[in-house]
Amino acid sequence: MIPEELKKSLQQRVATAVTAREAAVDVMKELQSHYGWLTDEAVGEAAEILGLSTLQVDELATFYEMIYRRPVGKKVIHVCDSISCWCAGFERIMEHLRKKLGVVEGQTTADGMFTVIPCCCMGICGDSPAMTVGGNFYGSVTPEKLDEILEKERKN
Amino acid sequence: MELLLFKHNRPGRVCTFEEYRDGGGFSGLKKAIAMAPLEVQQVVMDSGLRGRGGAGFPTGKKWSFVPRDLPGPRWLICNCDEMEPGTYKDRALLEANPYSLIEGMTIACYALGVRHAFIFIRKGYETAAANLARGIEEAKKAGLLGERILGTDFSVDLDLHLSAGRYICGEETALINALEGKRPNPRVKPPFPAIKGLWNSPTVVNNVETLANVPEILANGAAWFKGLAKNPEGAGNKLFCVSGSVAKRVCVELPIGTTLREIIDVHCGGMRDGKKFKACIPGGASTQFLTADHLDVPMDFDTVAKVGSRLGSGGVIVFDESQCLVAATLNLITFFARESCGWCTPCREGLPFVKEILQRIEVGRGEERDLEIMREHIKYLNYSFCALAPGAMAPLDGLLRSFEDEVREHILKGKCPYKTEKQI
Amino acid sequence: MPKLTIDNIPVEVPQGTSVLEAARSVGITIPHFCYHPALAIAAACRLCAVKLLDGPVKGIQMSCSLAAQDGMVVSTTDPEAMKLRSLVIEWLMINHPHDCPVCDEGGECLLQDFTIAGGHGRRRYQGNKRTHMNQYLGEGIYHEMNRCIQCYRCVRFYQEYAGGTDFGVMGSAGRVYFGRFEEGQLESPLSGNLVDICPTGVFTDKTGRFRARYWDYQFSPAVCQHCSVGCNTSPQAFHRELIKIVGRRNDNVNGWFICDRGRFDKEYLNTPLRPRDPMVDGTPCEYEEALAALAARVADLAKVHGPESIVIAGSPRLSLEGALMLTELAEHLKGATLSFYAGPAESEVSLGAVKLLNEQNAATVRDLEGADCVVLYELDLIEEGAMLVPAVRKAAVRGGQVYLVSSGQRTLSKPLPFAYRQVASLDEVIIEGGAKGVVICGAAPRPAEEMAQIASLGAKLMLLQPGPNGFAVGTVALESRAVPLSEVLSSGKVKALLAFEAELPDRLPEGVTLLACADWRASDLAKGAAVFLPTTTWIESDGTAVNFEGRAQHFQRSFKAGLPLKGLDPKYYQHQSPAPLHPPRVPHGEIPGGKERDCWKVVAQLIEKMGGGSMAEPLTGKWGALRDLDPEGGGIRVFGLRDR
Ligand SMILES: Cc1cc2nc3c(=O)[nH]c(=O)nc-3n(C[C@H](O)[C@H](O)[C@H](O)COP(=O)(O)O)c2cc1C
Ligand code: SF4
Ligand code: SF4
Ligand code: SF4
Ligand code: FES
Repeated sequence: MIPEELKKSLQQRVATAVTAREAAVDVMKELQSHYGWLTDEAVGEAAEILGLSTLQVDELATFYEMIYRRPVGKKVIHVCDSISCWCAGFERIMEHLRKKLGVVEGQTTADGMFTVIPCCCMGICGDSPAMTVGGNFYGSVTPEKLDEILEKERKN
Repeated sequence: MELLLFKHNRPGRVCTFEEYRDGGGFSGLKKAIAMAPLEVQQVVMDSGLRGRGGAGFPTGKKWSFVPRDLPGPRWLICNCDEMEPGTYKDRALLEANPYSLIEGMTIACYALGVRHAFIFIRKGYETAAANLARGIEEAKKAGLLGERILGTDFSVDLDLHLSAGRYICGEETALINALEGKRPNPRVKPPFPAIKGLWNSPTVVNNVETLANVPEILANGAAWFKGLAKNPEGAGNKLFCVSGSVAKRVCVELPIGTTLREIIDVHCGGMRDGKKFKACIPGGASTQFLTADHLDVPMDFDTVAKVGSRLGSGGVIVFDESQCLVAATLNLITFFARESCGWCTPCREGLPFVKEILQRIEVGRGEERDLEIMREHIKYLNYSFCALAPGAMAPLDGLLRSFEDEVREHILKGKCPYKTEKQI
Repeated sequence: MPKLTIDNIPVEVPQGTSVLEAARSVGITIPHFCYHPALAIAAACRLCAVKLLDGPVKGIQMSCSLAAQDGMVVSTTDPEAMKLRSLVIEWLMINHPHDCPVCDEGGECLLQDFTIAGGHGRRRYQGNKRTHMNQYLGEGIYHEMNRCIQCYRCVRFYQEYAGGTDFGVMGSAGRVYFGRFEEGQLESPLSGNLVDICPTGVFTDKTGRFRARYWDYQFSPAVCQHCSVGCNTSPQAFHRELIKIVGRRNDNVNGWFICDRGRFDKEYLNTPLRPRDPMVDGTPCEYEEALAALAARVADLAKVHGPESIVIAGSPRLSLEGALMLTELAEHLKGATLSFYAGPAESEVSLGAVKLLNEQNAATVRDLEGADCVVLYELDLIEEGAMLVPAVRKAAVRGGQVYLVSSGQRTLSKPLPFAYRQVASLDEVIIEGGAKGVVICGAAPRPAEEMAQIASLGAKLMLLQPGPNGFAVGTVALESRAVPLSEVLSSGKVKALLAFEAELPDRLPEGVTLLACADWRASDLAKGAAVFLPTTTWIESDGTAVNFEGRAQHFQRSFKAGLPLKGLDPKYYQHQSPAPLHPPRVPHGEIPGGKERDCWKVVAQLIEKMGGGSMAEPLTGKWGALRDLDPEGGGIRVFGLRDR
């Protein structure tokens, strides 16, 4: 169940959109940030707010890279695996993450803190290899820097 | 050299509304509003401005396709999906200055008779989106956007649409579906968006950089803009965003027609760690590799096309002699296979096929006939539903054209020649 | 009309025809998967490639999405086009299971045919196949996602055509998945069409899976007799068992599709409980014996009580032939009363519609699709005429206004898949002058004043009938001054009731001493009839049905009636002793339980037995014009004939 305020603000967003569907991605993203991922319950709530069926919401949700339809950890680590980051050695970063966190791509750490997901180009090619942790950007990542980042992100 | 896109940039921070205004901003809009809409379109047409989203379609011409006599609304959408690997110019532009785009869009709306415009922003560009949101409010307050702009009858609403991440959303018809809240598969063309686009009404889709050029074109005139380019056929400046094996990875504004050599040697401080240049992708992931032979080609749409690649988005990715281009191409194809929207057969199934082949070649299990299969894909993926799959084949095409020996070496040696025994 | 050449054959087609359809018009099938004439163009599979050698467009093009233009020179056999087509097949076969023998689609699979046509035969891809989980989609449809070739036909049909919202496509790239949000019964009343529309074996008819292959089936053009819309079907039978019913195209009626009731509701046709034996006083006998007994008893009774004591009853379940033959019987038993409806309400609705409708005011399905205003009057459309739903939806999507007039007596069994305004009375409906309007009325009783009001709207009418063949039977009833059964029976004068596929009351009034029934189903009352004569269903017989808009359509026998081989009682093959060697060397021509006869023939034979003339042709007089009606044609409206 989402708080009444959130529901109101989402209904407001839908009411001011040209069509309800135009607001669909916004609604899904808001619900995702509330639940951590887009749960089945959230899909149902999105459907209700948007006047769509759950299937119609899922048709959209499953298309987008940054909508999670499976449980994720508290913070998602996205490691860019596209060409500029490849040039800059993202594979080393990934390898380091696997070792350090004991997970492979797609998995969540045992403590439920991090989920590691490779992603496409984030437009930080000038600062590659790049990654985000819980939405915060990090560029020119090295294995050493990575340790610090994880430390910091674990704390706040 | 004269800057127009980065003219208002401030080191380390975003430029303010006052700075933009006082630096000559919004003079283009004021000039435009004093003209007739079709005159504004004519100036853009005369300026030789070509789309900066990748295809290089002449902007004024695109605008001219919009029928003026149909009842119902018309729409303008700014394409800020920028998910083409190696491309980060729109981010650089908007994180430094959102006002050129806002002003450019307002002018475009005036020229096209658009009342309501959208900026479609990719996931991850939240800073750019925040800058734009702030800029829109400021412009509204200053009477430069919203109701009755500059006291005239001309009004424009500008809204942001924040996406959730998917490369295909950058393709203009897929983008229109995405904005409508439908699954972002591309649409059948024709009808083209100019006739039947957003909510079935005439729609223009332009890239961020394209639209950000418009204010200065109006302010300084078509001839001035044309004159900025280094080559006679070219027009204006272009953002080049460089990544890969260069000493300094930068996003710079340079005249159209600047050579790759100048970009790398002068603006990027040469190659990283003194390595030798091997190849580069000149315009984002969906363009063909260029080699050292092409370092002196002027970077303009037609000149790059002439040597078998595309100026594309201006995302230059540089490779040095120590890098395996089979592995690099495999990375690119993997990206495209994952980003296929899944609508048409050649792309959805053909790209994983190519990926499987490159994977085998890279680990030393390639076969001679793989070359033929890949060539078939290069040719026949052109008949996909949209330009994603042909774009995906561009680097592979470049690889087989310029580096066939390297591919063959993998096959003959049964291993990647760039990998040490330990890596294998 | 653009003129072009396709494989050197000159073709001229109407403006807007695709190259694919233009080729089809001269007998060339260009392979295709995503293209379906009833759906919007997707151009997704890329199989229909042709090469344009000359003319306004050149090079490789997709023929499904390319409009034929003057001067085009098209080659369907160009090596480049053929290469692309074979690659498309190769791409699809990368992930498709190679196990047609255990696929229920095998033999009627578009992918099989076009794989052979495409020329791809050897696997070059060395990776693994992608696999999916299947979903439970209800009792009608089995889901096997691994067989999907991502042509998007199913979702385009389900969402755009049928207006369903609980089935669609999820995921992207190679992970696209066609299914529901969660497992469960598909909600659309047209969901069964997924079986027909999917070019491969992803959706198969659960009620008939793995019972037979396409080439095993006996089937003929049939007309669905579940409601008065009269959709065209092909009932597919094997060893006298009706395995599947699929849609058959008729653009005048149902387009390409049928509703779930018409497709899945077939158990009562196969059931071993169906009466198969003629019986006299409860004892099975030969047909001729039963007919003779009935003729004799009717004659006796007429002698004692006069023919006025006899009622001859039918119902809108009868074919036109059956109804006409009953009038012959009434003629023969001069004085007997003819009855076609159980009660006065039903009779009024049916006859009222026949009286009111004419060639001008009776709306066709095309009229409905093109309507600017549609009024659903006291009607549960999904229940009473489900295949009109997509037509109303088309009108609504085009911008037409739909009203549901409901005083609240009837509730909707399922939500309607289009936008509409519900109003309490006709007065709130606005049909503007000159607007193309269509009013659809259900078969619930319609008060005369309201019918007058509806008739005065100036809109075209669709008056649904209380039974599948109501229009034909109503027309005959009107001409023969038939009386509703309940009325005749309540007069107290009836001694004999001869019921031919008629709906019997629960109990007969005192005084009725002779009950005879000819039917393919039997109520308890019918089972106790003095004479029982089993008849064939419309699937096992030839005949003519007339749908609600007065459209006559021929149906043909798909198979000879009899007990299905499946579940056959051993008494039918173990009666020989000693048991014959296996296999039996002497064939038996007799079909177990196959004594049923077509109802009109039973009536004709009875007349003959009673000394009347021979009745070899039921369609006589003005109805003779329907004799040569093409069962695969669009059908013809009978108003002209009727009013002759
Ligand atoms: C797969 C694909 C992705 C694209 N991505 C982008 C993009 O991220 N940004 C963009 O401006 N154009 C992109 N384009 C090009 C657009 O379709 C369109 O041509 C462009 O936005 C037009 O703007 P312009 O004329 O100003 O260049 C993409 C095209 C394809 C085929
Ligand atoms: S080429 Fe086809 S599958 Fe690929 S993105 Fe375009 S439409 Fe989708
Ligand atoms: S769907 Fe067709 S090709 Fe596929 S297994 Fe079944 S019969 Fe064979
Ligand atoms: S399930 Fe059938 S109809 Fe639907 S996309 Fe797959 S192959 Fe096509
Ligand atoms: S039938 Fe033409 S692309 Fe599928």
